[in-house]
Amino acid sequence: MGRRNRDRRERRPQRPKTVLHAHGEIGGAGSFRCAGCRLEVPAIAPGTSHRNHCPHCLTSLHVDRRIPGDRAADCRGPMVALSLAGRTDGEWRLVHRCSRCGGLSVNRIAGDDNARALVRLAVRPLAGAPSGFAAVARGALARL
Amino acid sequence: MSTTEPSPTPRALTFDCVRCGLTVSALDPDGRERDHCPGCLSSRHVVDHDGGGASACDGRMVPLSIAVPRGGVWVLVHRCVRCDELAESAVTADDNPLVLMRIAVRPLADPPFPLDLFGEV
Repeated sequence: MGRRNRDRRERRPQRPKTVLHAHGEIGGAGSFRCAGCRLEVPAIAPGTSHRNHCPHCLTSLHVDRRIPGDRAADCRGPMVALSLAGRTDGEWRLVHRCSRCGGLSVNRIAGDDNARALVRLAVRPLAGAPSGFAAVARGALARL
Repeated sequence: MSTTEPSPTPRALTFDCVRCGLTVSALDPDGRERDHCPGCLSSRHVVDHDGGGASACDGRMVPLSIAVPRGGVWVLVHRCVRCDELAESAVTADDNPLVLMRIAVRPLADPPFPLDLFGEV
């Protein structure tokens, strides 16, 4: 368990939804189909009211531009999970990258996200990459 | 045309970090142009990554996470503290390894679910 797990109750309240989504999207049909693995995903997720990625393969769709929910992007490319970032309250955020245009976005993980896929993403910087972890560790040792 | 005009490429050789004030050279050891401070890994929001071109924000960008695209090279993901825009930048050879490592292990140091259950799966 993490050090900060004790104060989990002081959780930041989520922003209320202010955007109306088109028919067939979340809010219209109540579910969406994953762009990566074609899983039919219900829009209601435990732990978050802003589900934007598939809980199985963590793939998202590039529909928002600057503001989450604005639906202003005309790219519509699949966004693959790029990395994980920790928040100070111990929650994980998922960084997505559009595989068509290279745009980035951040979203909180949901309660039913695939834990194995999340952990695989979290340990990826530390896995024995030829020029990643080993090079940084060598640099750290050289400075000591 | 006056002869007192500066040369067309008066590129500054150093810049000051917006967070730690460190004066760093504009080029990294590999000869590429630097876009973040090698000491604290902070950056400045001068490029509009969404629309392209220069950005009017000019806010400070903090390192958010480390991504590993194909090839195994570490890439830093920055986030602007003023407008929340995200940017990617390559890790250079003289970036502070301790700060890099701290960002890399931060998700695993504070997981949202107990990781010891993964030994049984």
